[in-house]
Amino acid sequence: MVDPEIGPAVSCDGVVMSNEPVSSGLVRLDLELDQPLSFQPGQFAMLNLAGADPLVFSRPFSIFKADGRRMSFLYRIVGRGTRAMGALVPGDAMTFLGPLGRPFPQPETDQPVVLIAGGVGLPPLAAWLARRSDHPGLEIQAFFGARDGADVPWDLLDDRWDVSVDSLKDVPDGRRAWKGLVTDLAATSKDLQDGRNRMVLACGPTPLLKAAARFAEARGWGCWLSLEEHMGCGYGVCKGCVVPVLDPDKGPEARRNATCCQEGPVFNAELLAWKRPHRSQ
Amino acid sequence: MSLPDWWTIDPNQPFTLGPRLFPGRIWTASGCFAYGLTGHDMKSANFTSPYQGLGAVVTKTVTPQPRAGNPMPRLAETPMGAINSIGLENVGFGEFLAETLPALERKGVPTVVSLAATRPDEFGDMVAMLHETAAGFTHWHGVEINLSCPNVAEGGHDFGRDPATVSACVRAARRNLPDRALLAKLTPNVTDIAELATAAAEAGVDAVSAINTVIGLEVDLETGRPVLPRRFGGYSGPAIRPIALAKVDEIVTRAGVPVVAVGGIGDFRDALKFFALGAVAVQVGTAQMRDPFAAARISRNLIRG
Repeated sequence: MVDPEIGPAVSCDGVVMSNEPVSSGLVRLDLELDQPLSFQPGQFAMLNLAGADPLVFSRPFSIFKADGRRMSFLYRIVGRGTRAMGALVPGDAMTFLGPLGRPFPQPETDQPVVLIAGGVGLPPLAAWLARRSDHPGLEIQAFFGARDGADVPWDLLDDRWDVSVDSLKDVPDGRRAWKGLVTDLAATSKDLQDGRNRMVLACGPTPLLKAAARFAEARGWGCWLSLEEHMGCGYGVCKGCVVPVLDPDKGPEARRNATCCQEGPVFNAELLAWKRPHRSQ
Repeated sequence: MSLPDWWTIDPNQPFTLGPRLFPGRIWTASGCFAYGLTGHDMKSANFTSPYQGLGAVVTKTVTPQPRAGNPMPRLAETPMGAINSIGLENVGFGEFLAETLPALERKGVPTVVSLAATRPDEFGDMVAMLHETAAGFTHWHGVEINLSCPNVAEGGHDFGRDPATVSACVRAARRNLPDRALLAKLTPNVTDIAELATAAAEAGVDAVSAINTVIGLEVDLETGRPVLPRRFGGYSGPAIRPIALAKVDEIVTRAGVPVVAVGGIGDFRDALKFFALGAVAVQVGTAQMRDPFAAARISRNLIRG
């Protein structure tokens, strides 16, 4: 795996082209930016309401798609900021800062890859999968988990995705879903039983990330996780979104704070100091 | 809104503060722009860089030893502001002196170094080492001693509430800082901020920075507990602008020391309000966290013509 080249972050304006639900819980926001931008899957942007009364802090969203000046995001309405975003209509203005952060690594060899996405964690891995047409020989298994059939954005998932749900309620006719945790779906997948060494990439709620890390560790596979933290600035200056990581250069017990926005949001699971929480100095 | 008739200053013209000529009057506030940009390269069609038109970047506060800072969560947003409890996470004075300040000098970023310590003699020692290492730097313009961080258990905020301690810290720093500007950043969480400003002025500062954050607390209704593990934090953003305006006015009218104003400045109109009260320069804090070009934008919008 190699880290992709990343370009500069750009501060610009965007206009809402559409802002529509794609499932019971997920909304897709399409912006037309002032300028065309490219990104690497796993990178995010800080979005805010334009005008005289922006949110005090912009909100981070993983980039789902970019095509010229058009950039798409998925979000779930969970608080004051996303509620305000949910009320935006085509033509409304937003501010944009991005792409930011460290993306998922790219394959260097033909090592097969397992993608595990949960809910609103879909965009970076869907973006990663969309780029893999550049590597036609690469074997990829993709797993997506949601609450129930209504929560799954079926139109955004092609047949490469295996879907799991907590409840089989509202799974549409002609669609397949497996009941249970997405990591359990991956663990029982016949495709993954051939003994080959794989790389796991995951994005979703923290319990899913921890389960994905355990899933990979149990098989001796490498694992990269995209973490979600509340952020202040999104570009590394405020130290408001730190994640405790191991600091192997300073010793096996040493740890330090890494900014989720700048050193992440994608981290090698091996470096995350999840087992023993970091203590304040 | 166009600029008012009374506004005759060009914020990008150099101005004198103590022994030093600063390149401009729009600065970024400590803790809100790190040590300038370190990772991402930032572009905007409207500016050559986020440093365009900046009079100074006041660095993230540096302490004698590195600090890991406070546990997460460290931020609580409100409709009009943000409460932070970062806890002075920083690289420590040794690394700052060896790596960070020389990097800022190489990039040509006008810099004011923010320092915090727990004893007056530590301020004196750090300033002496700064002077020794960076005497030849052309972009290092001054030191802001942080006498008011609410988020550390020792030193910080309580320390900065006592005029005698403020005076002792300023004297210790001033003694070793002959040719750079010396500022003291004051807490608003006192009955009489002008008394602190007077103490700082008599001890030899060239200006005071006012205000630091206001003590604030947010409660998570789901858990019934404070959002921040240390319970309270430092409240900033537009919500505190009227408080900052009142404190700046008190200092200007009663202490007679130059004021570099800070507190809820998000656009050029906000900055103008502080200049109207007599501030000599302003710092952009929370707004800079939202927008790396916030201070550059304010600087440009304050140029007449």
